[in-house]
Amino acid sequence: MAWTVRFLEDIALADLAFEATGESLEDVFRGATQALVESMANPATVPGGWKRRIERRDTDQSALLFDWLSEVVYWKDAAGVVFREAPLMLTWEGDVLFLRACLIGSPVDRKSQELRNDVKGVTKHLYELKQNGGQWRAKVVLDV
Amino acid sequence: MRLNTDMTVNRITDEIWEIPISEKPGMLVPARIYATQSILQSMDRGVFDQVTNVACLPGISRYALCMPDGHWGYGFPIGGVAAFDVEAGVISPGGVGYDINCGMRLIRTDLTLADVQPYLEPLMTELFRKVPAGVGASGFVRLSRQDFCRVMTHGAGWCVERGYGWHRDLDRMEAGGCIAGADSSTVTDHAMQRGINQLGTLGSGNHYLEVQVVSDERIFDPVTAAALGIVGHEQIVVMVHCGSRGFGHQVASDYLSLFEKAMRGYGITVKDQQLACAPFRSPEGQDYFSAMNCAANTAFANRQVITHQIREAFATVFGQSAESLGMELVYDVAHNIAKVERYAEGAVVVHRKGATRAFGPGSPELPDMFRQTGQPVICGGSMETGSYLLVGTDRAVRETFGSTMHGSGRTMSRAQAKRMVRGKELQQQMQERGILVKAVSMSGLAEEAGLAYKNISEVVESVERAGITKKVLELRPIGNIKG
Repeated sequence: MAWTVRFLEDIALADLAFEATGESLEDVFRGATQALVESMANPATVPGGWKRRIERRDTDQSALLFDWLSEVVYWKDAAGVVFREAPLMLTWEGDVLFLRACLIGSPVDRKSQELRNDVKGVTKHLYELKQNGGQWRAKVVLDV
Repeated sequence: MRLNTDMTVNRITDEIWEIPISEKPGMLVPARIYATQSILQSMDRGVFDQVTNVACLPGISRYALCMPDGHWGYGFPIGGVAAFDVEAGVISPGGVGYDINCGMRLIRTDLTLADVQPYLEPLMTELFRKVPAGVGASGFVRLSRQDFCRVMTHGAGWCVERGYGWHRDLDRMEAGGCIAGADSSTVTDHAMQRGINQLGTLGSGNHYLEVQVVSDERIFDPVTAAALGIVGHEQIVVMVHCGSRGFGHQVASDYLSLFEKAMRGYGITVKDQQLACAPFRSPEGQDYFSAMNCAANTAFANRQVITHQIREAFATVFGQSAESLGMELVYDVAHNIAKVERYAEGAVVVHRKGATRAFGPGSPELPDMFRQTGQPVICGGSMETGSYLLVGTDRAVRETFGSTMHGSGRTMSRAQAKRMVRGKELQQQMQERGILVKAVSMSGLAEEAGLAYKNISEVVESVERAGITKKVLELRPIGNIKG
């Protein structure tokens, strides 16, 4: 695992904030995705019967991460699911960055799953995706 | 006086504090915070930064305001109130919040604690079963897209037409449970898909359904209480706190993105990206206003369907109809909304984010039944303490664009609360104190522990002393449902 996630306590009193770091852009996308998935339910308690392939693109990597995380939040409500994992790949095609991912989870079941926060949205508050030295870092605040 | 800001904060009265326009470049009006000195001192740095950022927005009238339950939010602080000229001013999704028309509803009953106590466990179990809560929960009402569009434009009225409530319920809601000017064509497909299955669901976070008791000694204004249907004698009432769910969240997200781009075209710059805004009269501004009203109406409908389910749960457990149990609505009021209202300076778009409308007696916008009392204001405390029923005042109309507090306000992060309290233990401790809690998420329960919130009584005292609301009664929880 080439990424780490740290939840930040001093940013959003009523909400959730995290910082994901990774050795590559793809790693930091994976770390941020995992943090979001874990904010909604304990992934270990979610079986993987529901799947949705998702492809997004953007010329701006920061906008793409924001868009992708927002898409994960969207499917939570639109399909009534929580997630086990979301493997993803990033590829540059010219100056366009493509994200190809598969959201894997299952319908919400409060008896068998450890449910956590109902995330309302990914916010732009203090939002950033940056490369510093060899390290990528994303800071994300979720409204819950 | 030590405050979490380096800015100059001048005392106007013991409950009103002002930050002059000299404290931040770009401020167009002073910022005013309504709070006692001790509450002011406990406010986080974000309140001071954000309320002064709001004071820089184009077309702002008089003051940028923050109520005593204020804390850091996105763009606007929670507890923020700001009014913008309808011709020269802006509308900002950050001034409404992600949960459009998040609000409070109070339902009275003829039952007493002695009636309910023996049946509290089956009652809470039935309420927990009938009112879906927590992450990704869907409701029992199946809507076609056409139905959903009618919910957006007709609000709680749609529910009553379908049998989910009584016609007289509508008289006891802000704007009759339906705000005009909602056009479903301004709502994205994404927002529709996100919300179409969620009517009648509670959500999570700080949303809840609570069974409460009114004791005689906690009624401060018996005449007003009686006029609102509350007589005390350990009377049981039910409080609901929730909003427009995923639908409203998506409307907010969609328009925040749109406004970020649109702002550049209008030459507007803001101190914080989350204050993205557009001129109220611009096409983007009008589209957001319409979409926001769709979400607001959906929130009224959401609370109406929940009310129907609550009435059914009580009827099942007590073997009587909800009508014979006296389950009338006391009031339903929004605390995340933008509305066009008329004040001394003319028509303005009042943004209330974690703030409640508080019109005083005689206000022409109130139905006859509230002309003597003033508009009811429902303020939810933490699940461990109490909540309050207040009424609006003429002074609020004169000073705060008819606005007041909405709840107790957090003082502690969710992570810190979870480190200090375990959900299961909290549930046990609350049960020992006579509060039965049903929760979907134990970690979510710990995050909402009473220690994470300000003392609501102190917050209420500050708005009472400031004269912008009047205390009617305090409510004590005996059962709570959390997502």
